[in-house]
Amino acid sequence: MKTAFNAVFEFLKIFMTFLIISQILNGLGLGMLYALVGVGLTLILGVLNIPNFAHGVLYALGAYLAFTIANLTDSFYFAMFLSPLLVVLVGFLLESQGVRRLYHAHHDYQLLFLFACALIIQEVIIIIWGPIGFSLLPPPSLSGAVDLGFLIYPKYRLVLICFAFFMIICLYLFLTKTNLGAILRAGIENRDMVKVLGINVNVVFLYTFGLGAYLAGLAGALSAPIMGLTPSMGLDILPICFVVVVVAGLGSIPGAIIAGILIGLSQGAATIWFPEATNVVIYVMMGLTIIFRPQGLFGVR
Amino acid sequence: MKSFLSDLKFKITTIIFSFLFSISSSLSTADTVNILGLFPFSGPYADSGKLTDQGARIALEEVNYTINGKKIKYVTRDSETKAGPAARRAQEAIDTEGVKFIIGPWSSGVALAVTEVAKKNKVMYYFSGGTEDISGKKCHKYAFMWAANAWTAMDADLKIFKKANPNAKKIYLFVVDYAFGWTLQKYVESLAPKYGLEVVGVDRHPLGHREYSTFITKAMSKNPDAVYMINFGLDAISAVRQLNNFGFTPKKPVIMSWSSGFEELIQLDPAARENLIVGSNYYYTIDNPENKKFVEAYKKKFKGVPPGYAGAAGYGLMKMTLLGMQKSGSTEPQKVITALEEHKGKNFVGDFEIRGRNHQTVRPFFVLQTKKKNEMKNQYDMAEVVDVSSTEQPKNINMCKDIGSF
Repeated sequence: MKTAFNAVFEFLKIFMTFLIISQILNGLGLGMLYALVGVGLTLILGVLNIPNFAHGVLYALGAYLAFTIANLTDSFYFAMFLSPLLVVLVGFLLESQGVRRLYHAHHDYQLLFLFACALIIQEVIIIIWGPIGFSLLPPPSLSGAVDLGFLIYPKYRLVLICFAFFMIICLYLFLTKTNLGAILRAGIENRDMVKVLGINVNVVFLYTFGLGAYLAGLAGALSAPIMGLTPSMGLDILPICFVVVVVAGLGSIPGAIIAGILIGLSQGAATIWFPEATNVVIYVMMGLTIIFRPQGLFGVR
Repeated sequence: MKSFLSDLKFKITTIIFSFLFSISSSLSTADTVNILGLFPFSGPYADSGKLTDQGARIALEEVNYTINGKKIKYVTRDSETKAGPAARRAQEAIDTEGVKFIIGPWSSGVALAVTEVAKKNKVMYYFSGGTEDISGKKCHKYAFMWAANAWTAMDADLKIFKKANPNAKKIYLFVVDYAFGWTLQKYVESLAPKYGLEVVGVDRHPLGHREYSTFITKAMSKNPDAVYMINFGLDAISAVRQLNNFGFTPKKPVIMSWSSGFEELIQLDPAARENLIVGSNYYYTIDNPENKKFVEAYKKKFKGVPPGYAGAAGYGLMKMTLLGMQKSGSTEPQKVITALEEHKGKNFVGDFEIRGRNHQTVRPFFVLQTKKKNEMKNQYDMAEVVDVSSTEQPKNINMCKDIGSF
C-alpha cells in the first residue's frame, strides 16, 4: 500500500515538475514580448513624460505591416526587419506633427491626442485590411514543434525567446554604452539638466518616440505568428503594457524587462492552479505593487 | 407691459412648437416600425458586429424597408459585448427611438441582460444564439432564439467526432468562462459517456484570452485524443492557431464546438486549420434556393466573400422578425409573437420550428470537416458539411417550466 502511494506521489511530483517547467517556458516567451512592448512604453513615458496611448496600435501596425510585407515579398525575415522600421516612421510622424505641439499643454490634451490617434489608426487598419483577422505563419524552418524530452514546444516560440532576449541585451548595451543611450537615460533622470547641457531635446524626444515605436512594432511583428492579427490587437495589449510600466516603476528600463517577464511567468503559474485568473493575475500584481511599493519594483519616483 | 408681451410671445411660440413636434412624432410612430440592431461594434466580438448588421440590412433590403404598409426604421447600437452598456443602450433606444423589436446582441452574457430589458418594456427580442437560458430558465413571452439549442449542438459535435474517430476515448476541454461556456461544458460532460468519451481535463479561460500556450502544454500532458473547444471568435481562432504551433493539429483533431464557421476559418491559414471538426449554425454551402439567394446578395455586398454565422444570424434574426409581422399582419409585438409561436416552415437554413411552450427553435445544426489545402477548389472552399443534426433537447432537461403571459 505504502509503495503504491509512493509511486503515485513520485508520478505526481514528476508530472508537476514538468508542468511547472513547461509553464516557465511559456511564461518566458510571453514575458519577453511584454518586456519589448513595455520597455518602449516606459522609455517614452520616462523621457517625454507622456503615457503613449497609441503604443498598442503601433504594435498592431507592426504586425499588419509584417503580414503584408511577408505576403508581397514572400520573405518572413525581411518582413520582420522592415515592418518595425516603417512603424518608426509612423512614430516620427506622431511625435513631430502632434505630440511635440502639446509638450506645454495640459496632460489631458496629450492623452486625448494619443487616444484619438489610437482609434484613428485602428479604424485605418480596418479600412485597409478589413474587420476580419489574419494568420501569419512562420517560415518552414521555424514551423512545427521540437521534442524537448519532457515537452513538445513550438520551434518559433523557442527562437522568439532567444531573439527577444538578444534584442533586450542589444537595447541594454545601447542604453548603457552609447552616447545617445546616456542622453536618453539622463533625460529620464532629469530632463531640465539635459536641456541645460545644450542638448537639442526635440531631437532626443523624436528619437525616443521612434525607439519606442520600433520596439512596439517589432513586438507586434514577432507576435503575429503566435497571436494572429486582428484590428483590436493593439487595444488588447495596451493595458498589459501599462501594467508592466507600473510594476516596473515609471521610466525604469531594467524594471520593465523584469516586470514583463514576471507577468508572463505569473500568467503561466496561474494556468496550473487557477486558469480562470490568467488575466486577473496581471492586475493583482499591479494592485499589490501599488499597495506595497507605489514607486514600482525598480522605480525611484 | 413690454416684458409681459415678450413673455407671452415666448410661451405661445413654445406651445406651437411643442404641438407641431408632438404631431410629427405621433405621425412617425404610426407610419413606421422601429427595430433595433444591438450588435458588438467594439469589444472581443467586434469583428462579428459589422457582419451581423450587414446581414440584417440584406433582409431589410429584400422588403425595401417596408412591412405591412409601414416604413421600417432600423437603428443600431453598440453592445460592446458588455451586459451593462448593452442593456442601457437598449433601454435608451426604446425610450428615445420608440423601438418595439430588438435583434442581437451575439454574446450570451449580454443577451441575458437585454432579455430582461425586453421583458420589462414589452418589446419583442430575437437573440442570435447561445445560452439556452433564453428558452430555458429565463424564458418569457417576449424572447426568441434563432440558433439551435446548445444540447442539440453538443450532441451533434460529439456524435460526428466519434464517428470520424472511432478509437478516440479522451477529450480535453477549453471553456470560455461565462454563462454560455458553462452551459456547453455541462452538456459535453453529460453527453460524452454516451459516445464512449471521457473528459480528462477542463480549463476555463477568461473571455478575450489570446495566449493559450500555458493551457496547451497542460492539456498535452494529459495526452487527449482531441481538444474540444468551447470558446468563440478570436478566442477560438487564437487557440486553434497555437494548437497547430504546438503540433497538436493536424496529428490529432480539434473540435470547435460552436463556431461562426466561415468567419473563423478564414482567419486561419490553411495549414493551421487542418483536421478541425467545426460545429456551426450556418455554412454558406447549405443547398436550398433561399440560401443561394442570400449568399448571392451577401457576396455582392462583400466583394465575393460569402457569409458566415454572423452575417447569416443577422439575416435570420431580421427575417424571422419580419416573418412574424407578415404572418400577423401587424407590427404590435404581442401579435407578432403569437404569430411566431408554433411556427413551422422552411427557411434558408432548412426546416425551422418554434416551440410555443418555451420559444425554443428546432432547426439544423451543421458539423463541418475542414479541407486540406490541396483539396480546396478556391480560397473560400475551406470545409464541407459532413452531417446535419436537429435532435431536439429532451423535454425533461429544458428549464423553461412556465413561459408566462404578456
